[in-house]
Amino acid sequence: MAKVSSRLLSHICIAAAVMMLVLIAAAAPSSPASAQNVPQAATSEQQLLNQLKLGGAISGQVSIPDKKSANLIHPAGRDWRTFRTVWLKWIGGVAVVGMVVLLIGFYMWRGTMKIAGGRSGRTIVRFSGFERFVHWLTATTFVVLGITGLNITFGRALILPWLGPQAFSEWSEWSKYAHNYISFAFTLGVLLMFLMWVGQNFPTKADITWFKMGGGMFSKGHTEPAPAWKFNGGQKLLYWFIVVAGAAMIVTGFILLFPFYAGLTIDSMELSQVFHGTVGVLFVALIIAHIYLGTIGMEGAFEAMSDGTVDVNWAKEHHPLWYDEMKSGAVDANAVVTPAE
Amino acid sequence: MLRKKSNGAVRAARLKDALAPVAGSPLDRRSFLARSGLLTGSVALASVLPSGAVRPAKAAAAGPLTSGATRVKSVCTHCSVGCTVIAEVKNGVWVGQEPGWDSPFNMGSHCAKGASVREHAHSDRRLKYPLKLEGGQWKRISWETAINEVGDKMLAIRQKSGPDSVYWLGSSKFNNEQAYLFRKFNAFWGSNNCDNQARICHSTTVAGVANTWGYGAMTNSYNDMHNAKLMIFFGSNPAEAHPVAVQHILKAKEQNKAKLIVCDPRFTRTAAHADEYVRLRPGTDVALVWGILYHIFKNGWEDKEYIKQRVYGFEQVKAEVMKWTPEETEKVTGVPGAQVAAVAKMLHENKPGTLVWCMGGTQHTSGNNNTRAYCALQLALGNIGVAGGGANIFRGHDNVQGATDMNILPDSLPGYFGLATGAWKHWARVWDVDYDTIKARFASQKLMESVGIPVSRWIDGVLEKKENIAQPDNIHAMVFWGHAANSQTRLPEMKKAMEKLDLLVVVDPVPTFASIIPDRQDGIYILPSTTQFETYGSVTASNRSLQWRDKVIEPWFECKTDHEILYLFSKKFGIDKEMFKHIAVKGNEPNIEDMTREYNRGMWTIGYTGQSPERLKAHMANQDKFDPTTLKAKGGEVDGDYYGLPWPCWGTPEMKHPGTPILYDTSKPVAEGGLTFRARFGVEYKGESILADGSYSKDSEIKDGYPEFTMAMLKKLGWDGDLTPAELASIEKVAGATKPAAPADATAPVDAAAMADYDKKIGGVNWKTDLSGGIQRVSIKHGCAPFGNAKARTVVWTFPDPIPLHREPLYTARRDLLPKYATYSDRKAWRLPTLYASIQKVDHSKEFPTILTTGRLVEYEGGGDESRSMKWLAELQQDMFCELNPADAGKLGVKDGGNVWVHSPEGGKVLVKALVTPRVAAGVAFMPFHFGGHWQGKDLRSKYPKGSDPYVLGEASNMNGTYGYDVVTQMQETKVTLCRVEAA
Amino acid sequence: MARMKFLCDADRCIECNACVTACKNEHEVPWGINRRRVVTLNDGKPGERSISMACMHCTDAPCAAVCPVNVFYTTADGVVLHSKDLCIGCGYCFYACPFGAPQYPKTTNFGSRGKMDKCTFCAGGPEADGSKEEYEKYGANRLAEGKLPLCAEFCSTKSLLAGDGDVIAQIYKERVSKRGYGSGAWGWQTAYHETIAS
Repeated sequence: MAKVSSRLLSHICIAAAVMMLVLIAAAAPSSPASAQNVPQAATSEQQLLNQLKLGGAISGQVSIPDKKSANLIHPAGRDWRTFRTVWLKWIGGVAVVGMVVLLIGFYMWRGTMKIAGGRSGRTIVRFSGFERFVHWLTATTFVVLGITGLNITFGRALILPWLGPQAFSEWSEWSKYAHNYISFAFTLGVLLMFLMWVGQNFPTKADITWFKMGGGMFSKGHTEPAPAWKFNGGQKLLYWFIVVAGAAMIVTGFILLFPFYAGLTIDSMELSQVFHGTVGVLFVALIIAHIYLGTIGMEGAFEAMSDGTVDVNWAKEHHPLWYDEMKSGAVDANAVVTPAE
Repeated sequence: MLRKKSNGAVRAARLKDALAPVAGSPLDRRSFLARSGLLTGSVALASVLPSGAVRPAKAAAAGPLTSGATRVKSVCTHCSVGCTVIAEVKNGVWVGQEPGWDSPFNMGSHCAKGASVREHAHSDRRLKYPLKLEGGQWKRISWETAINEVGDKMLAIRQKSGPDSVYWLGSSKFNNEQAYLFRKFNAFWGSNNCDNQARICHSTTVAGVANTWGYGAMTNSYNDMHNAKLMIFFGSNPAEAHPVAVQHILKAKEQNKAKLIVCDPRFTRTAAHADEYVRLRPGTDVALVWGILYHIFKNGWEDKEYIKQRVYGFEQVKAEVMKWTPEETEKVTGVPGAQVAAVAKMLHENKPGTLVWCMGGTQHTSGNNNTRAYCALQLALGNIGVAGGGANIFRGHDNVQGATDMNILPDSLPGYFGLATGAWKHWARVWDVDYDTIKARFASQKLMESVGIPVSRWIDGVLEKKENIAQPDNIHAMVFWGHAANSQTRLPEMKKAMEKLDLLVVVDPVPTFASIIPDRQDGIYILPSTTQFETYGSVTASNRSLQWRDKVIEPWFECKTDHEILYLFSKKFGIDKEMFKHIAVKGNEPNIEDMTREYNRGMWTIGYTGQSPERLKAHMANQDKFDPTTLKAKGGEVDGDYYGLPWPCWGTPEMKHPGTPILYDTSKPVAEGGLTFRARFGVEYKGESILADGSYSKDSEIKDGYPEFTMAMLKKLGWDGDLTPAELASIEKVAGATKPAAPADATAPVDAAAMADYDKKIGGVNWKTDLSGGIQRVSIKHGCAPFGNAKARTVVWTFPDPIPLHREPLYTARRDLLPKYATYSDRKAWRLPTLYASIQKVDHSKEFPTILTTGRLVEYEGGGDESRSMKWLAELQQDMFCELNPADAGKLGVKDGGNVWVHSPEGGKVLVKALVTPRVAAGVAFMPFHFGGHWQGKDLRSKYPKGSDPYVLGEASNMNGTYGYDVVTQMQETKVTLCRVEAA
Repeated sequence: MARMKFLCDADRCIECNACVTACKNEHEVPWGINRRRVVTLNDGKPGERSISMACMHCTDAPCAAVCPVNVFYTTADGVVLHSKDLCIGCGYCFYACPFGAPQYPKTTNFGSRGKMDKCTFCAGGPEADGSKEEYEKYGANRLAEGKLPLCAEFCSTKSLLAGDGDVIAQIYKERVSKRGYGSGAWGWQTAYHETIAS
């Protein structure tokens, strides 16, 4: 996993976290119940607006069962609007486009990272069928979710003009259905991935070395392979990002999918969308990097997830500790080295 | 494509259309605004009018549904404000509703109920066919079967137990003609056991007010409140009960800077707009009023000249009032002494002031005391009979005033004639039937002339021991004709009564709670009647104005109009020939106008005589001519009339009396709507004259008080010569007298004895019984009120409490006040034993510490069977609730929206949602009374006829409504009892 | 050109809900959809005020800004309308709306909330004025008939004003100056970025 991408990632994460904190602070304090405590004497709008905390609502009492309608004025909608129409576009644009630009630059500089020792002709099983199923389940659903999600954010500006309102609306409606229903499969994928790989993703000392060596990706010449077990430091970072961000996406997504359940208010909806959107675009950017490294960025990597085996030399270069372990046959009975066909 | 609306080309085309002055072409906003003057600076006018910006241009095109629709004018069937409804009808379908801008009452406005009346023609929950309960199942039957089976059963009961064993409970939802016919029908059936919602609405008002100054109705009008400088409300919440009236109230508040004072145990939506909110303990109105009056007397703020000229008995009242020191008042009412003083000062400083009361004042065991105390307060201030003043008693149902005037009541005949022989003879003359024919229909002349059982007590008429009832047998058949059972108290006992009956008949557009309360297998019939939008006729608003409704749609499915159903029953009972002698019947439907004309010919007492169908229709057609403040018309065929010819509209229609917009207003001649206080209680009491002293209406030829007009009085005054020969002939006919023929020889002496006999006979004919209206015409010609000119009395010597006294409710927690303010002794009244002291003496306050009061929601009306069947309204109030103060809720551990059990000391209990709100004080709970369909926690939805169950069901507050009846009128006490609230 | 606005004079509003049922009546709005509602602030306490609220037809409407499929448009009268044909029922307009105006037919939604519905200022939708299709999707088009929204026309106390913003602002201003009090033109700051000086 690329050091640059992880650094970028950490920067983006910090930026997002800061921004999110701001937004949480903005949206959190309001709840319709507490807003009943409007002042005793004069109920004038100006006064109530002045007293309104950031993100709060002027709220009262209604006889209809739809209690969210008791919010009379909820100016926080404006903040959310700014997030959606300005912030998210910038974050998303910078993250996604920036990542693509970075990767192109990186590719131009580094090209495809070859297996230094060339292909040995022997392969070693890296991922079992089940592991690959889980990966691809998560991956394909993610791609659909990512594309349909980006459509909600950028489609109006990018696709609508050339698709026209009718077709774009149709496409968007289907993509919304897809997004909503496929989310369940994605949830399953993330859950399985978490359970399946959690044991192999705890940080180790080797990861520190790996990071110090930049995963060996930033030196064009042949160097000592960076130490890594089955997953290297970057991959672990990715794993934990997928687990944590995936969970965040799932939770916020379900909040959006089942609005106003369990006493959730408009603020929680808005906040959920902020999380969902921000994490979503970062997720997409990161996965683009992941795809890059798994395909054209690195020779021999894609096979790991396509037929489940990797060249022994690739394994030695990228996951030497794991290779050694496999070779000794200590851990994985399935890890049988076979000659390439 | 999406931009079509703002597309320049499209817009330009529309604009062009609009600018072309082609009549009927579609207007766009701009041209509409231009034409309606809103763009050119009529804003000042618009803001002065309460209607604000929104008076649109007439006509213009209509949408896909309403194009080609005809507009029909009707009147809302909910409350008594009388809002004009403009219905758009196309192909017999009511497709749209538009504002009735021209109505001086509502000026286009509606409340939630009025804005949704179109659903009367829509609601799929309405009944479609007659139904019968057979083996516990509802079975569709034909009208013929229904009338025959019900009729046969009633005739059998009549045979066995007499006509008084069938109770005909009528409705204030009838129009005047139907109400009149219903009362007439009861006369022909031969029993006074009939009643309507007025009993449990304003009966204490009618009794109290009529006994104070003559008539028991609202003295001024909603519109006249524009002139008020102060408005004080007792137990009245117009924001929810009469929302459209609030525009008139706010007009006074905003334009006159009128003070708005709300005295109510509950902080209502009206109180939210008040300058002063006075929270009193429920049931302490007399104490509060006397407490206010204390300051007025103490400071000499009473209108001494007015009292001297026009009021009797104030010295005695004053003696009682001066006991109500600020300390005593606070002790009893809970209102701080300083606030009482402040209110008194406001009343003194802001005149004219109007006083409004509603159910909060009337529904008490001493309700008649409350109403008389209010009157006394207004009389002390000299506020009665003046514009901007008055006792503005807001009535409830759309035609509860009319149904009261038509006297669907057990104690009177149409026009408050009473039940004495003379009254019966008068109506027999009007009906052109033999008095003896009517008499023969009754069990006895004694029963014919004795008051029947009131609706509040019908269950006792069933359950009480036979020997304790002053009629031959118990009630065996009960007819709920347009009346909600759940609006009556003591529901657990009502269920027993309903199960004991031989026959229960429900006549209503919806099945009503009544038809599902009893656990019966058979013996219930439901007859589907129409709403008032499926018929036509007149309706009397709270201010005594009559409005004419046109028919909007044809009756829905097999529903029949109330007058048609009455006709079918009369035919079944063989009384149709006599009953409809002068009323044409087409098919089975009696002619409405004929009925109007018939009561025009008989209701002289309250001047329901001048309002012919023609005049009323002309008023509806010329609504725009009437001034929204004075209600007086300018121009057109209705020039000079007051809108709706508010009664008394004296004399015959030909006399063209304009109606009386403000009762007892001496600043106008009687001929132009002026009036004096009525001489109803004789000319003197205990040697003291009770006729007016130096006060008289403008242009009166008698410049002092005078008794009511009789033929003898006309003669004495020498005004009998003004009678036309036809009038004289009519008077002679009434008197049964023939003028002795003048001797052929002019010099021969007349037969003095015969002449004296003749004079005596015709001399007894008075303004009430003269069918020609001549006596009224002549007295008015001379500027006099036909009913005399007397003082109002603040001492009603015929009542149990001649001077209103505070008496604690039967169920009171204030045991400390009982020695001083105990209730009445048990007594027998209205054919039944009635309990007071024996109930009050039991102390329930430990187990039932909370005061329970009830009231109205804007979305529903009455028992709510109908309005809960209208989905637009039902959606807005989906759960029965009980309001609890946050402090009480906290103690009980009850959360807002949580369930609570409310228990009654009489064994009733309801399971409802808690609404935790500071609207009610700590220690007080409030429940709305519109719900029904649940029974002590059980949902009875499955018992309704399939498809006719209301959208919203809930517990009825009257499950917890306890025993307690006004000592004069048998008004039920719903506004104060005790309860215990428990978290469920 | 007129700029249509709503103004609720809370010092006159009594929560009678006429506006709510008028809307139901005029547009046959189904149960559960509340294009207009009345909210009571400070319920049961001195100073209690009720305010009738629906879509305010905002200047620079947030719903239109956030809509992923751009279904909103503003008419020449300043009325914010939308196309139900294009709406995908995502709910974003509800998040952005400061007034809780957008309504959805399905509240227990899973895949879909259904097409968004909201107050049209009685001005229909993109279909031809007064057409059957327009009525079925959006309800009556009173503006095209030269009539103002029925909620305001029926308002029991003339609290709810609808019409050209300048005109109703003027009326409100005069009311306030005449009677000497006014709790504000509720929602105007948020919707139109303006207040009515009183």
